[in-house]
Amino acid sequence: MKRLAVGIVGVLFLSACASGGTTSTGTAPKSGGTLKMAIESELRTLDPVKSSQRVERQVYYNMYESLVTIDASLKIKPGLATSWQYTDPTTLQFTLRQGVKFHDGTPFNGDAVKFNIERALTTPSSPRKSELASVQSVEVKDASTVVFHLKKPDAALLAQLVDRAGMMLSPAAIAKGGADFGLNPLGAGTGPFQFVEWKRDDHLTLKKNPNYWVSGRPYLDQIIYRPITDSNAALAALRTGDIDVASTNAIADKDIASVKSDSSLVYKDTAGVGFGGFEVNSGSGVFADKAKRQAVAQALDRPQILQNVFFGVHVLSHGPIPPTSWAYDPSERLYGAADVAKAKAMATGFTFTMKTPNTPVSIQEATLIKDQLGKAGITMNIQVEEFGQVLTEAQAHHFDAALVAWSGRIDPDGNIYGWFHTGGGFNDGQYSNPQVDSLLEQARVAADQSTRKSLYGQAQKILVGDAAYIFIQHDPAQEITSSKVHNFSLIADSIDRFAEVWKG
Amino acid sequence: MSTVYGAALPDEVAETPITERMSVRRLLATYPRVAVASGLLLLLVLVTLFAPWIALHDPNATDPSNSLLSPSIPHPLGTDELGRDLFARVIWGSRVSLPIAFVAVAVGLLVGGSIGLAAGFRGKLTDLFLMRLIDAILAFPALILAIAIVAVLGPGLRNAMIAIGIVQVPVYARLMRAQVLTLKELDFVAAARALGASPTRLIVHHFLPNLLNPLIVQISLSAAAAMLAEATLSFLGLGAQPPTADWGFMMNTGARFLNNDPWLALGPGIAISLAVFGFNWLGDALRDALDPRLRG
Amino acid sequence: MLQYLVRRLALMVPVAFLVSLVVFSLVHLTPVDPATLILGEEHSPQAIAALRHELRLDRPLPEQYITWVTNALHGDLGRSVRTNQPVVQAITERLPATLELGIAALAWSILLAIPLGTIAALKRGSPIDVLATGFTVAGVSVPNFFIGILLILVLSVNFRLFPPGGYTSLADSIPDNLHRLVLPAITLGTVTTAINTRFTRSSMLEVLRQDYIRTARAKGASWRQVIVGHALKNALIPVVTVVGIQIGQILEGALVTETIFSWPGVGKLAIDSIFGRDYPIIQGIVLTLAFSFMLANLAVDLAYAWLNPRISYA
Repeated sequence: MKRLAVGIVGVLFLSACASGGTTSTGTAPKSGGTLKMAIESELRTLDPVKSSQRVERQVYYNMYESLVTIDASLKIKPGLATSWQYTDPTTLQFTLRQGVKFHDGTPFNGDAVKFNIERALTTPSSPRKSELASVQSVEVKDASTVVFHLKKPDAALLAQLVDRAGMMLSPAAIAKGGADFGLNPLGAGTGPFQFVEWKRDDHLTLKKNPNYWVSGRPYLDQIIYRPITDSNAALAALRTGDIDVASTNAIADKDIASVKSDSSLVYKDTAGVGFGGFEVNSGSGVFADKAKRQAVAQALDRPQILQNVFFGVHVLSHGPIPPTSWAYDPSERLYGAADVAKAKAMATGFTFTMKTPNTPVSIQEATLIKDQLGKAGITMNIQVEEFGQVLTEAQAHHFDAALVAWSGRIDPDGNIYGWFHTGGGFNDGQYSNPQVDSLLEQARVAADQSTRKSLYGQAQKILVGDAAYIFIQHDPAQEITSSKVHNFSLIADSIDRFAEVWKG
Repeated sequence: MSTVYGAALPDEVAETPITERMSVRRLLATYPRVAVASGLLLLLVLVTLFAPWIALHDPNATDPSNSLLSPSIPHPLGTDELGRDLFARVIWGSRVSLPIAFVAVAVGLLVGGSIGLAAGFRGKLTDLFLMRLIDAILAFPALILAIAIVAVLGPGLRNAMIAIGIVQVPVYARLMRAQVLTLKELDFVAAARALGASPTRLIVHHFLPNLLNPLIVQISLSAAAAMLAEATLSFLGLGAQPPTADWGFMMNTGARFLNNDPWLALGPGIAISLAVFGFNWLGDALRDALDPRLRG
Repeated sequence: MLQYLVRRLALMVPVAFLVSLVVFSLVHLTPVDPATLILGEEHSPQAIAALRHELRLDRPLPEQYITWVTNALHGDLGRSVRTNQPVVQAITERLPATLELGIAALAWSILLAIPLGTIAALKRGSPIDVLATGFTVAGVSVPNFFIGILLILVLSVNFRLFPPGGYTSLADSIPDNLHRLVLPAITLGTVTTAINTRFTRSSMLEVLRQDYIRTARAKGASWRQVIVGHALKNALIPVVTVVGIQIGQILEGALVTETIFSWPGVGKLAIDSIFGRDYPIIQGIVLTLAFSFMLANLAVDLAYAWLNPRISYA
């Protein structure tokens, strides 16, 4: 699921977090034990190439590893590749870690890399295809060196390889798994934990990988994931010790206050890399008129939405780049406060329809937005549909406004290019501004981070001013654990990694 | 027998032709249960009719700064997550539940009744075919069929109404057919037919009067089942869509807020239970009152 | 008797055909194309056409129907759109949880209903009878999701006696499994209890009116001997057949109960699949339920015919 219903219990957020909160108690780590984690919904597949749900990554990251990974400040760091370099703008060479074995005992090497990337590129209906669109071919130079040949320069490729597009699975295990591989991926990863069993709607078990290439890790013997879709149940389970960790989203925003006030629990959060709000169709219909989009942006009382719908847990958004990204510019504050008089001066007395996903929080949010806009003389009709239906119609540009959020990417390109470049893959609103297009193209090929930051800043200022999307909130990445869980790193992408975690 | 067909209580009425009828006054006098149940339903109907005057607040008016308030004098049942007055929403909810139950029962009665009449009067192949159709509907547990129909048609009150109507069809088809068959057996009918009485005359003078008692009982029980089914579909998110003030859907929202704000679920839950109880009780009491076998 | 059985089976053939048609149409009446659903956001016209061909969706409907029925008869109901898991496997792996819940619900409902119904009948008109009769109407009137919510509110949120949801398999921990079973089983069993109580009561009243009971009393047998030795035994015969019919009720109730309590059974799978538009799974579940319900009804009818010689077999 690339895009998410606002507030749906499946929204995940990658986020850039400066404070990589590590819970350290000063006592020595203890080995052993089983850690039980509540995830907010059941997974569909354990095959990263087929994955279309963000929640699946919670399990993947503890079982599979990618060529590169990120640290708490979102900097790319070595994973299964120990180093990499661009020998020219379209040639990316990786040096692979030696002596790593998959859980099934087969070796990880250049052939495995080539196999996995090609599998991602050729599997029908693989959501990874578009993430790796710039890759022309993979060449195995020797057992420890692979070269990616690119169609064009792609500053965001490494960031894509951090996630599912770059995960390395055992070719032998995939062959053995056959059609059911995604349900029973025995022996496929190289990560700190290996797959044991998956009883759907009940639990999924991983056990310690005794031959993990980081010596002395992991500490835990076992991880058991339980899908708990009901926040009340997740909270009760956390309190009784039935679970030790709840994923971001497993506890509803309305219950976060109870978590914070419970001394047996630990709560921390940070802004995520996604953004939330609603799409507006600049290409046709009522919102082809820029003044009307701007009037809507101006009339919204965002703090009230954050308080009433999100219970103060989320962060006010001023654009597609979240506060935790290196590209964030804190000086931009367009449409910060509601101003009904100013909104009325821009445009008033028009009517539009908001396509609203059929989730309680989305419906609550839409109802509140309708209420707020009414004060500025803007009539909003709510049309509730199943989330997939909202997406389909948004993609067909068949809408005025649609409550669709973005889960986010760790590189700013992933939050802007597809959404706001003319004809971009997620540009449902048909926003088109040659100036923005040019800035985004430059940022894609610019090698230097500060140049990119300045280009994104300029692009963001224009597109937010144009009200290309109505930005409301950035969702948080959360650490929700019992106080028995130690050494937990709250990484901004809201994925709970357990290689370093121990229970005491 | 099942929650949707309407034969929610096990004493089979469909196959029991009842010839004796009672005056309304005698019914009420003999059976206080009937009176109490009727009173409850009368109250429900009055609430439905006068909802705008009883409710005091607009059921859809949001007030975010007063969301999730506990019950108080201005808001007897508290407010919901958008600050809407729950008492007003519960009162207005009757305007969704009651009409839907009646439409669904009407659909079941008309379609099922016609099928039963046709099967009973025509007999032979028509009977065989129509009754297999009814068996096919009965092969599905009712709620599961209703959910499957809604899954195909898409969620929404109109589709929920159609689905509930369809699952009501078999009980009326069987009831009607049984009445016709009983009637055909009777000597005086055979005599009347031999003398050239028209089918219309037979239906109006002999058939309908006999049918009335079991039908009244069945309609009352079906209405209860239909309300229950509508609430269940809406609770599962397959019926009423927001912001409609619907009891089942309000329970769906209420279930989310059970930890800290339980009154969101309590008001609508009690409302549905009372309404369904009223219909079931009336049907039950009427059956006892009308069925001479059970007396004494 | 044999003739009756043959006739019943013969009548089932056209019904089974109609049922399979209805279930087959589930997918083909939907406004959304299954191929588009499977491909999701990545759908391109070429990919959709290719997948439609692969799934044989481009074939004429009668041919698709025959293929589907043939596969179904061989135990192949296709694969889930969401997980690519075989439908039969998806259903069978969730069946134990549903069976456990259903059996528990039926068990407590029988254990409570038979004594309650018997006492109510023996003390007809007493406060106990009035209460029991009230319960039989209330039990079928209060929606089971409201019962579930009330139980969670009181026993789980307030007193924290039971978890508000979730499941542990019997293999993992028997005490934990039973602990989690309590609330859903009460929720699911309430309607059945109400109906069984009522049926026991009316059946008992009927039996007490019979001549042989009076004769037994006249011969000097004690009340207790009469009730336990004669009346109850005879009164329970129809009750047993009613319990058989209740499989349909349990199946319906399981949809709601499993959803409320996150109980990983077939009912929850059905609801999740509806929201995920996983039509092969919905098809498989509806088909399985319809046929098990049909077979249960047949079994009940046969049992009833066997127990009650007055019924005509012709």
